[in-house]
Amino acid sequence: MTPSRVAVLLLAICAVAGWQVSVIPESAIQMAVGPDMVPAVVVLLMSIVSVFYAFSAFRGQQRDEASEEEHSALPGSQLRMATLLLGGVIFIVLVPVSGFVIPATLCGMCIARSFDAPLNLRSALICGSVALAFWVLFAKILLIGLGPASPFGL
Amino acid sequence: MEALDALLIGFSSALTPTTLMWGFIGCFVGTMVGVLPGLGPALTIALLLPLTYHVPATSMFVMFAGIYYGAAYGGATTSILLNTPGETSSVITALEGNKMARSGRAGQALATAAIGSFVAGTLGTLALTFIAPELVEIALAFGPAEYFSLMVLALVAVSAVLGNSLLRGLIALSLGLLIGMVGIDLQTGQMRFTFGQPQLLDGIEITVAAVGIFAVGEALFLAWQGRSSTPSSLMKLSGSLWMSARDWSRSWKAWIRGALFGFPIGAMPAGGAELPTLLSYYTEKKLSKHPEEFGKGAIEGVAGPEAANNASAAGVLMPLLTLGIPTSATAAVMLSAFESYGIQTGPQLFSTNSALVWTLIASLYIGNVILLLLNLPLIGLWVRLLKIPPPWLYASIIIVSIVGVYSAGNSVFNVGLLFVFGLIGYVMRRFDFPAPPVLMGLILAPLAEQSMRQALTISQGQWTTFVTRPLSASLLGIALLLLIAQPVYRHWRNRQPKATL
Repeated sequence: MTPSRVAVLLLAICAVAGWQVSVIPESAIQMAVGPDMVPAVVVLLMSIVSVFYAFSAFRGQQRDEASEEEHSALPGSQLRMATLLLGGVIFIVLVPVSGFVIPATLCGMCIARSFDAPLNLRSALICGSVALAFWVLFAKILLIGLGPASPFGL
Repeated sequence: MEALDALLIGFSSALTPTTLMWGFIGCFVGTMVGVLPGLGPALTIALLLPLTYHVPATSMFVMFAGIYYGAAYGGATTSILLNTPGETSSVITALEGNKMARSGRAGQALATAAIGSFVAGTLGTLALTFIAPELVEIALAFGPAEYFSLMVLALVAVSAVLGNSLLRGLIALSLGLLIGMVGIDLQTGQMRFTFGQPQLLDGIEITVAAVGIFAVGEALFLAWQGRSSTPSSLMKLSGSLWMSARDWSRSWKAWIRGALFGFPIGAMPAGGAELPTLLSYYTEKKLSKHPEEFGKGAIEGVAGPEAANNASAAGVLMPLLTLGIPTSATAAVMLSAFESYGIQTGPQLFSTNSALVWTLIASLYIGNVILLLLNLPLIGLWVRLLKIPPPWLYASIIIVSIVGVYSAGNSVFNVGLLFVFGLIGYVMRRFDFPAPPVLMGLILAPLAEQSMRQALTISQGQWTTFVTRPLSASLLGIALLLLIAQPVYRHWRNRQPKATL
């Protein structure tokens, strides 16, 4: 990822947003400001500032932490980020079938792994305790619906 | 006198055991999030928004206020003992506080920060008590056109002042506005930016966006860097927590001056806590009889900025309660909490929900006392929190983030969105885009659009209504000035060396 790629991403978002504005249906209600006017103005504003950003990014004038020695990434950055995101995917896939605690534990283990903690029993126990503690606090004490804790419906 | 009577009624409500308990929980949680890196008051309040379905409004806002104040208190601990500010507003405290800790005076640094926070927090709350009702009187004259212009000013100010670049601030703002318009347009019933997804018809929840950008985004950024695998080296808690007579005499004026900087600047759009802490630091350095100690551990350099930081927290609440305009990310999240209770913010709040407002203000006084009592005796606990290894800390933060998002309707779609916003947060963090404009845009977009439509309905479609009404025109004028000031200043600064040659 570089500022130039961020600029391309922004312009792509503007294009998609512009298309979405064009498909907003006309309102049957007669009013000074229809449903598409403000979105159109916002997309126009975003397009203008994105073009300015693109110009300065292509000229190398935009900031990237990766280029600063103190903040740059150590080797393995892509793998660490992918591991963290994998934790989210595991949670999303498993939570409808296996309750809250197991997916949250596996997700926590992936996140800990992305911060270089080993994938072992200790990690499973710590993340499992955290997941269970939050489930008890929110679902049992504060009565906020988190679904069952386990696939057995506890 | 009316304010005093109302405040007394507020105290009678705030001192009930249930409200006190929520206040205590808020102060405790707030101090904890202030101490821990990676968590902040905006994120914490966003995570707790699902509680609004179960807890009465008064208790909830007392807790939120406790979290907000508590985070301002707690940030000093990491700055002093770790040289790693938990909050951006505590960066200045680290300059002198950590130097004091290194020279064996950590106890005194923590003490002046805690007592200064108490003094300034109380002064700020006093100002809120007596100025807010006056501001409400003025705000009652605001029509939809003035509200629209005020929101434009707040949005422009946040984008122009926060962060290092106006361009990146405006991109963040427009992204926030775009996200804020996702869902069904309430006036016409038309779908906007939904891509045909029924899950997007109700719009994007503030919790998902705030938690994704702040918590998941920060975790992704730190994982990308790979430099946070071990805890930072912690200073030993050295020196007595009792301040000497000399420490007191060097601190008290700095506390008061800090409060005088903090409250008014905190009440301004995008004023925040960073600017007053910086101003306080340089003022203390200028006025000190021991300027040579600055940079080596001057107690005034901790006392003033910490006081400014806490007074600004009271300042931020003023436009939120009187005008319904958030001037920081935390206030924006609190505004969405008002919305989830169906409470109309703005000047009417003082008449329609007078009990809630005055209980909240009374709880700020009580919260300051709780925080003073909590901070110093529990310093050992806060220090132990700092020793949690980052892998377990961030695993816990993300698990609680998922809990906060998933609990609102058990939606895995929202959990997916959480990680999408996490990626957006990562890109923003890495490429230096400010996050608050996104949240402010998200929350204020529908409100601003509604005010604009109301103003145009009243003026029978005349767009000139925004510039022919003096107050509205003035607010838009200030917004325009803020927009052009930074580029003009930069252009002028770039020309300076050439002119002198």
